[in-house]
Amino acid sequence: MRDKLLTIENLKTHFFSDDGIVPAVDGVNITIKKGETVGIVGESGCGKSVTSLSVMRLLKDTPGRVVGGSIQFKGKDLLSLSDREMRNIRGNEIAMIFQEPMTSLNPVLTIGRQIKEAVGLHLGLEGKKAHEHVIEMLKLVGIPRAEEIVNEYPHQLSGGMRQRVMIAMAMSCKPKLLIADEPTTALDVTIQAQILELMKKLSAEEETAIMLITHDLGVVAEMCDRVVVMYAGKVVEEADIYELFENPKHPYTKGLLQSIPKLREKKNRLGSIPGTVPNPLERPPGCKFAPRCSEVFDLCREVEPELLPVGADHQCRCLLYQRDLVKEA
Amino acid sequence: MTVAPLIEVKNIKKYFPYKKGLFGKKGFVKAVDGVSFSVNKGETFGLVGESGCGKSTTGRMIMNLLEPTEGAIIFEGHDLGSLNENEVRDLRKDFQMIFQDPYASLNPRMRVKEIIAEPLVIHGLLNGKQREKRVHELLEVVGLSSYHGERYPHEFSGGQRQRIGIARALAVNPKLIIADEPVSALDVSIQSQILNLLQDLQEEFGLTYVFIAHDLSVVEHISSRIGVMYLGRMVELADKDSLYEEPLHPYTQSLISAVPIPNPRIKRERIVLQGDIPSPSNPPSGCTFHTRCPFVTDLCKSQIPAFKETRPGHFTACHLYND
Repeated sequence: MRDKLLTIENLKTHFFSDDGIVPAVDGVNITIKKGETVGIVGESGCGKSVTSLSVMRLLKDTPGRVVGGSIQFKGKDLLSLSDREMRNIRGNEIAMIFQEPMTSLNPVLTIGRQIKEAVGLHLGLEGKKAHEHVIEMLKLVGIPRAEEIVNEYPHQLSGGMRQRVMIAMAMSCKPKLLIADEPTTALDVTIQAQILELMKKLSAEEETAIMLITHDLGVVAEMCDRVVVMYAGKVVEEADIYELFENPKHPYTKGLLQSIPKLREKKNRLGSIPGTVPNPLERPPGCKFAPRCSEVFDLCREVEPELLPVGADHQCRCLLYQRDLVKEA
Repeated sequence: MTVAPLIEVKNIKKYFPYKKGLFGKKGFVKAVDGVSFSVNKGETFGLVGESGCGKSTTGRMIMNLLEPTEGAIIFEGHDLGSLNENEVRDLRKDFQMIFQDPYASLNPRMRVKEIIAEPLVIHGLLNGKQREKRVHELLEVVGLSSYHGERYPHEFSGGQRQRIGIARALAVNPKLIIADEPVSALDVSIQSQILNLLQDLQEEFGLTYVFIAHDLSVVEHISSRIGVMYLGRMVELADKDSLYEEPLHPYTQSLISAVPIPNPRIKRERIVLQGDIPSPSNPPSGCTFHTRCPFVTDLCKSQIPAFKETRPGHFTACHLYND
């Protein structure tokens, strides 16, 4: 067993809106071990991005607040740290890259200046040393003409290059955990392939754990050791990568796997999940997936299932596998 | 094939003029630079490529939303370029478009029933009661209910809005539908609902689709023939099976190998292309792919490869196959 790096326990992050309380994250448990790549999959509104923002404590300017649970990183409870202590961890030990590299880079500062900021703050490198470190990082992420690019502005670069800069910035302080929120969604396929290769290489070399948030099951299959599937603010299934693709248990996971077209599969019709994700203000009682589930039975609409083991290193939140427990209750 | 194609695109080009700075030099962005293909009745023609390859511009030219700089588009024997505005509007009934962004393509101030009825109003088809009946019929065809017609677009989810866009496109009984990235803004489970709906409608109404997308798995699933574009040119065109089984153009090969496969057991040797897509305002000489091609030769840098039939029904523009 590798050491646990990040342990999220029963995390609840709610958004307080005029229309009511939106339980965006509603009791989520995730553990990430050292050097491991864990995929978090789910559709829009399932709470995968809010989970990552909660870990980074980046909810300050939103109506959202963590209302319960704990986030342990290397034994420290991130939720009880002061802002100053959190700043020392953010960007240094935990770094994040976002989907849209243009909006996450400052358009009026040169590339070099932006990376130097993190390097100066966390590694205490200044002047020539900082400059050299920045160029080294840019070369590491495969940016050609690194000596010239340091003096250029984000708008002078293409989308793929900007994402490389983001990765260079995130990796510049050798973080233990990299949170990547849809890092390749805005990129073209051939550029996506370059960025994924790069992330794989860097995580292997530096032993960086990656929390990869994505909706693309192809990317997950290629990158991850373990997968967490989320639906309506909760983890519905968690398993080893092979187990999840070969032996999915939750009807939602099964539905997802059947609805993606696969190259050379020659299927005339795709499977699909009827209906849409429930409005978070009006989530149904019982299992949140029950209204769209093909294997639903009466009890599902009353009892909320728990996330329980269904095999070695495999957990699932579904009453189909908990009938005995239900009978006892 | 003896059947006349529904639409024939002949060497179309679209150059957008630009000017660098106030007195700077003028130039052209060659968004589409000589593309030809034809689409047969009842088939789905897929158009794939990465951003900036000109696939959407091609779609817009077929829709007559953009005027080609050169070349001709022939729809059922009519050359769209030679028709006047009224004639084009009459013909427009026969081809409709579905857009990528279901949020931006529906007027937020109109009720859904008004949105769907608008093409009927424009073409002066049906009146009052009949029109309403047709709208209800269309809503049901795309899997919504007639009471949805009273609502406004913001009350719907992305997938439902795309259904509304499809209902609007179907209102005038078109023969051809151009779908520009119709599922790329949707979640996976919703994406498959819409793809299945498009297939059902095609069968029911005998529709012909031009399906524009960047996702190769989606295009493979829905299309019968596929054209691959790169920097404004068609680099390969073939029926689905030969394109995916035996891609000829090095760009198609790398594109297919770059698609992540949702199966963790499959470990592939991937052709990772170096570098970025060049700017279409200053495309490379010769074959536009030569800056990234693993098999580049001197010839590629100087001469544009001809788009030729390399195997029966399989066209490609690459010097590797021209001798």
